[in-house]
Amino acid sequence: MLPQFLFSGLALGSIYGLVALGFAVIYKATHVFNFAQGMLMVCGAYLAVTATTQLALPFYLAAPFILAGAALIGALVYVLLVKPLTGRPLLPVIMTTIALSIILRSLIEILYGVSPRSLATPLPTGSFLIGGVRFSELHVTAAAVSWVCMALFAGFFRFSRAGLLMRATADSFEAAVLSGVNVNRINAGAWAVGTMLAAVAGVFLGQLQLASVELENIGLLALPAVVIGGLQSIPGAVLGGVLVGLIEQLASGYVSPKARDIFIYGLLLLVLLIRPWGLFGQRELGRV
Amino acid sequence: MINSWTRARLLRSMAAASLAMGLHCGAAAQVAAFERPQDGVYADHIDWGLTADLSGPASAAQLPYHNGFQSAVRTFNDKGGTNGRKINVLAEDTRYDATAERIAYEKFVSQTPTLGTSGMGNSNAQVALLPLIKREKLPVLGTYASARAAIEPANPYFYGGFCGFREMAQVGVGFFTDHLKLAQPKVAVVHLDVASGKEYAAHIEAAVGARGGVTKAMPIKVVAADATPQVLEILAMKPDFVAIHGVPTTAILVMKAMQQYGIDVPTFAITYLGTPGVYQSLGPQIGKSYYFVSCFSPASSDEKAAADLSAAADKNGFSASKDDINFVAGWVAGQLVTEALAKAGPEPTRESLTAMLNGGFELDTHGLSSPLKYTPDNHAGLQVLKPFAYDYETKKFKTFGDYKDFEKYLK
Repeated sequence: MLPQFLFSGLALGSIYGLVALGFAVIYKATHVFNFAQGMLMVCGAYLAVTATTQLALPFYLAAPFILAGAALIGALVYVLLVKPLTGRPLLPVIMTTIALSIILRSLIEILYGVSPRSLATPLPTGSFLIGGVRFSELHVTAAAVSWVCMALFAGFFRFSRAGLLMRATADSFEAAVLSGVNVNRINAGAWAVGTMLAAVAGVFLGQLQLASVELENIGLLALPAVVIGGLQSIPGAVLGGVLVGLIEQLASGYVSPKARDIFIYGLLLLVLLIRPWGLFGQRELGRV
Repeated sequence: MINSWTRARLLRSMAAASLAMGLHCGAAAQVAAFERPQDGVYADHIDWGLTADLSGPASAAQLPYHNGFQSAVRTFNDKGGTNGRKINVLAEDTRYDATAERIAYEKFVSQTPTLGTSGMGNSNAQVALLPLIKREKLPVLGTYASARAAIEPANPYFYGGFCGFREMAQVGVGFFTDHLKLAQPKVAVVHLDVASGKEYAAHIEAAVGARGGVTKAMPIKVVAADATPQVLEILAMKPDFVAIHGVPTTAILVMKAMQQYGIDVPTFAITYLGTPGVYQSLGPQIGKSYYFVSCFSPASSDEKAAADLSAAADKNGFSASKDDINFVAGWVAGQLVTEALAKAGPEPTRESLTAMLNGGFELDTHGLSSPLKYTPDNHAGLQVLKPFAYDYETKKFKTFGDYKDFEKYLK
């Protein structure tokens, strides 16, 4: 059973890693602890419902529609809600993201109804057997897409000009402004990217079960993932997600489904107590 | 100057006016005599409470229930109501929250008094409110769920309106054991890790144990993202069939994961999971092995009353949810209330309604549910269930007999 748990944990953890990566990108760029990340993930699932069911688009058109829709939502959230709060204390910004999450939930329920919706995507649903371990095709696809997305965004941050500017803005807002960087555009881009990553995860979770606002509870597992991995660390967010997925499967399989939360949040507490900057984050040093 | 013809006409007019006034006052006095605002009874209408989760975690199931209830009451009102009064439903969104349920109940008792209330689809709230219900004596009629403590022993102010978990377990286990010709069934039970889930798993264990079989309970979280741990246990156990308790997502996760791991065994779920949405999400390949047990017949069934329900749902704007088993449950609860008020006579009060129900009451739902009957000792209402499956070609639910065919499984 162990290899089976490890595989399904890795697959699920990859999806969590996507949401966590989006969370980290937003935090790194704008220092906003985004409690609406789970609901932005749900938006992705419902964009898929719109594209595949309501507009009946073929999947090759539905995929860019979902990504573009998510990017637009992310950029709008930054321009309308986050940018006006620049320079304000942490609490109002956090309260804004919580309010955003509640508003998005209600909007989705008004627009789509309260009943969960099934996704009609051509994603594979079968399975295959290798060495006694059964691999779900959907899990394999989810993991592969997640890792490709993570690699693409890692390349984007490292090698592209826009990615470089994002990192520069995240490192020093004032220095970026003085260098002539359009920080608002860069930050809006970070929110767009973060929301797109969450949306991709939403499509996979919606396909694994149903598109429903209750998926937010699963998406919020990205919060412990990103804190465990390191709030400022892009690879840390990904690995934190994988770690959460593995813990979830092993705890559910060997102890009890309820033990999952004890192990995940127990590790979170441990990390906060011993290494508050996360397993892969860097300790911030200040000159006195 | 007034001539004789004019005087005679004037006198006739005055006499006619006096007579008309007298008749009007008499009629008004007759209707007004039975106004009882403290019980929600007025000359032209009766206020009735309805609580349901309309926007919370259970809204996917309870909103169709609310719609079914409203549809039945509107149909009743369109036909003229009862004794010159129409029923005015005061619906409260309780968001599956026990505190909100208590606030709503107290509101119906005195702030906006109603003759009775329905819904209350949170079994934890029912148990918590029992002392209040006994004290305030506002009858609760046709509940969406029935906590065991609320109906055992029979409570004069509480009348269930949904299938019970024990009966679901007994009929499901009995049917599949016979259908698959099993001597000692081996059954896997995937259930939510909550009180009702454990209760259901215990009922399955008792029903299977009575046949000399074995069960294994596999708890799952309501917000689970994956059912791999449970399905691996099923894979190791190799059961004859599987029983599922949970929310629609639970059924979908378990069934999809079973297919991915190559497990194809018949599976039956509790009534709440018998929705077209679940079958559509599963698709024909997986859905062919998925059944549910219910004391309600879906609107697409061949029952004779289904056409009335369907037409009313279309008329009232509820077409989208009419084939949901929860809509049918709401419709039956609405019929139960309207029929009870019709039988309560021209002077209904909380006291007289309670006395009438407690003395014994029966509702003919014309095949939309199993027989609904209250006796002084039993207020569960619906007892018998039958299994259903879904025909993807006709897009209709199919059943395997009449309700009476499954009475033999009830202990």
